Amino acid sequence: MRNEIILKVYRFDPTSGKPPTYKRYSVPITERETVLDALLYVKEHQDATLSLRFSCRMAVCGSCGMLIDGLPRLACYTQISELDTDEIEVRPMSNYPIVRDLVVDMSGFFEKHRSVMPWLIRRDVREQNQPTKQYLQSDEQLLEYLQFSYCIKCGLCYAACPVVTAMDEFLGPQALAQLYRYIRDSRDEGATERLKSAGEFNGVWRCHFAGSCSQVCPKGVDPALAIQLLRRRTLFMK
Amino acid sequence: MIITSIRRTSRQNLSKVLTTMLVPSRYTIERWSYTLQRVSGVVVMLYFVAHVIETGYVVGGPGVWYVPPYEVAQRSWETVKASLKDPVFDVGLGIIGLLVTFHTINGVRLTLTHFGYTLKRPHRPEFPYEVRSFTNFQRGLFWLSISFAVFSMIYALDTLLGVFRA
Repeated sequence: MRNEIILKVYRFDPTSGKPPTYKRYSVPITERETVLDALLYVKEHQDATLSLRFSCRMAVCGSCGMLIDGLPRLACYTQISELDTDEIEVRPMSNYPIVRDLVVDMSGFFEKHRSVMPWLIRRDVREQNQPTKQYLQSDEQLLEYLQFSYCIKCGLCYAACPVVTAMDEFLGPQALAQLYRYIRDSRDEGATERLKSAGEFNGVWRCHFAGSCSQVCPKGVDPALAIQLLRRRTLFMK
Repeated sequence: MIITSIRRTSRQNLSKVLTTMLVPSRYTIERWSYTLQRVSGVVVMLYFVAHVIETGYVVGGPGVWYVPPYEVAQRSWETVKASLKDPVFDVGLGIIGLLVTFHTINGVRLTLTHFGYTLKRPHRPEFPYEVRSFTNFQRGLFWLSISFAVFSMIYALDTLLGVFRA
């Protein structure tokens, strides 16, 4: 087992006017250490100016997404030992504007997420205000959307998608998977509005099944599956 | 909207877009399929344009694509005639055979996949997570398209050049 690794970290400050550079840091490591641990070691002991975003450290909040050795991953969820290399390259996620170093601007990503109305739409307003009953679901109904509701909005799928790279208007795998998640929910009554945005030019038809979104998803959401099923639903209404 | 999209893309780093599309290293075969489908589509489309021009010359002679002065058309026709005799042209046809076959069979695979027909149903995710869209069936169709494409190229080269005949 290695005692030390080199972190090759992308450094960029758009306000400085200088081009991006890579800086190498030598980091002592122990067993089961993650890339996030190594980056925080650098920030604490070697270079306090390094900017990165993180929070929960256990793959729940989805804050620490970055390109680790060329693949979008959560830094807190990636063990250094599993990469099996002496030098780890860390870059900010693709397909997002860079705020600084490893921090990206995800406002466009969340805007697209909001555009698919990721909440239950109901017509029974009185029942919503004064509930008298529960909305029961069978196991089969639950399994139709459960997998897709595990999304933590980390944005890794969006960073991996080649269609987003070529065309930033594309809704993207996360938003489309959430769209499908809500129309498959038996409690939802907003399928008509949602399918309208799915069928638009930048919607479900732009996906070409490169599958990269599903490969990098840390929660097993499989956005590619949701998008193909959404396409079937849009065309055949089933 | 398409033009706006293209303009915006060109304003972005075009090399980044091309690298993303053409170098799918570290990704699964679905991403390779995406890249190969695009590359084969573009090459076959360019071939069709060249094929119409070339067939026009063969059928109608130098005057069929008449662009004054006549000498220009005559020179183009001579170039086409020379290239048709060149074995490199036959090798190119073999490669076109490979790309057309791959694009067709993989296109059938993608059409089925795009409507969820080769994929598994959603399930309750449990670690280690299984990607339900990466099924053996749709992956098998990808390898089938590769196999048929290679066979087509070999058959085309054998027919055109006789390289595999003793």
